[in-house]
Amino acid sequence: MIHHHPDNNLLLEYASGSLNWAHSLVVAAHIQLCPKCAAQLKLLNSVGGSLLATATPSASLESSEPDAFGKLMQRIDRQPDKDEEQCAGSGSSALPLRDPIFASVPPVVRKLLAENPVLQWRRLSRGLKEARLKTGQNEREVSFHRIAPGSKVAEHDHRGREITMVLYGSFSDADGVYTPGDFLVREPGEVHRPTATQDQECLCLSVVEAPVALTGIWGKIINPFLSIKPQ
Amino acid sequence: MAATHPNKGGISSVQVPDHTRDDEWSGLLVRVGRDRDRRAFERLFSHFAPLIRGFQFSRGGQSSAPEAADELVQEVMFRVWTKAPTFRPDKAAASTWVFTIMRNCRIDALRKSNRQPATDESLNVEDIWDDSQDEQPLVYLQQARNQHAIAAGLQGLPPEQSHVIEKAYVEGKSHSEISEELGLPLGTVKSRVRLALKKLQSSISR
Repeated sequence: MIHHHPDNNLLLEYASGSLNWAHSLVVAAHIQLCPKCAAQLKLLNSVGGSLLATATPSASLESSEPDAFGKLMQRIDRQPDKDEEQCAGSGSSALPLRDPIFASVPPVVRKLLAENPVLQWRRLSRGLKEARLKTGQNEREVSFHRIAPGSKVAEHDHRGREITMVLYGSFSDADGVYTPGDFLVREPGEVHRPTATQDQECLCLSVVEAPVALTGIWGKIINPFLSIKPQ
Repeated sequence: MAATHPNKGGISSVQVPDHTRDDEWSGLLVRVGRDRDRRAFERLFSHFAPLIRGFQFSRGGQSSAPEAADELVQEVMFRVWTKAPTFRPDKAAASTWVFTIMRNCRIDALRKSNRQPATDESLNVEDIWDDSQDEQPLVYLQQARNQHAIAAGLQGLPPEQSHVIEKAYVEGKSHSEISEELGLPLGTVKSRVRLALKKLQSSISR
């Protein structure tokens, strides 16, 4: 059961296409797991549909293109339907997917894994590993965080807004317990200390605006590149 | 409301209520998807091209050159043709479906103009804004009627609320961009959006 959702403002920014790429990615991952937000997205898409349907039509005559439809049909004839092609390309099952921790991630994360077949895990502190992800933008850091069972993450504060979504296992902090699908926003200046539950490792997807400042003793990056074992 | 007549060209000249017209566009989309029916596609084009151009032109300032609008029409309608086989009339109104395609085209165009490094181009827009329709039919059977209620609801919003909604959807501005532009605190923009949504929600559950 998902208890923590993106708010209506974020969902509307996502639906209208005005939310940045990295945040949209996490919102999409949440929506794919959350029927409630998926239903809300329908409403928000319909708002866009209504605005389009009631736009003041701008006559084709003003167009700089005299035969726009003919031009389009030429393009269509030149290019036979090949919408399936893209799917074929990503068929190779990515290595990390064999790890059970990734077994039930939502489709957008699966795609992200396919595009990042080699995850470079680096240890941030005891019990906490991070792998940065290429997502097609570089304004924000998108990464997986893995917390070992029962581990406490070093207390840290956020210089920029941090959005986290749980993908596997669970963790808790002073405000509650978070399970797969839960979506959390931490504003700059908020300090917290997440702890993974005892019996399970925890995997999260997170987006950070500016690098997180680790404030405690474990704040040093000890071992930058620990590769995941393939099998 | 589509108070003015959006029909140029080939559309039947009989004026019918909006939700019936929605069904008409849905029917045409189904024919394009199933039969690759070019006449149906041409009618869709005559209907949606002026709306897409109108939507793009009302974006205030930025990139509202006719060429940009023409390019958008070409790209959106190309994708409409390609993706029509996946359109499900019981899941989305035609205009909503076309809107999601248009939104994705605009995100693509914006990314191209911002020149994201090509080497880092891993995910594409449809991975994140997935417009394949989910498998929850029953809840959404009333999609077309909802669409109608939402259009009416939008008309009934106080101007300061509909203004921020339009800025987000039509101009593609984030809440913080809107707050900067209007010189309003971010919290005010957020609460206007939330109030507007509450009203729209109640208009469909009525």
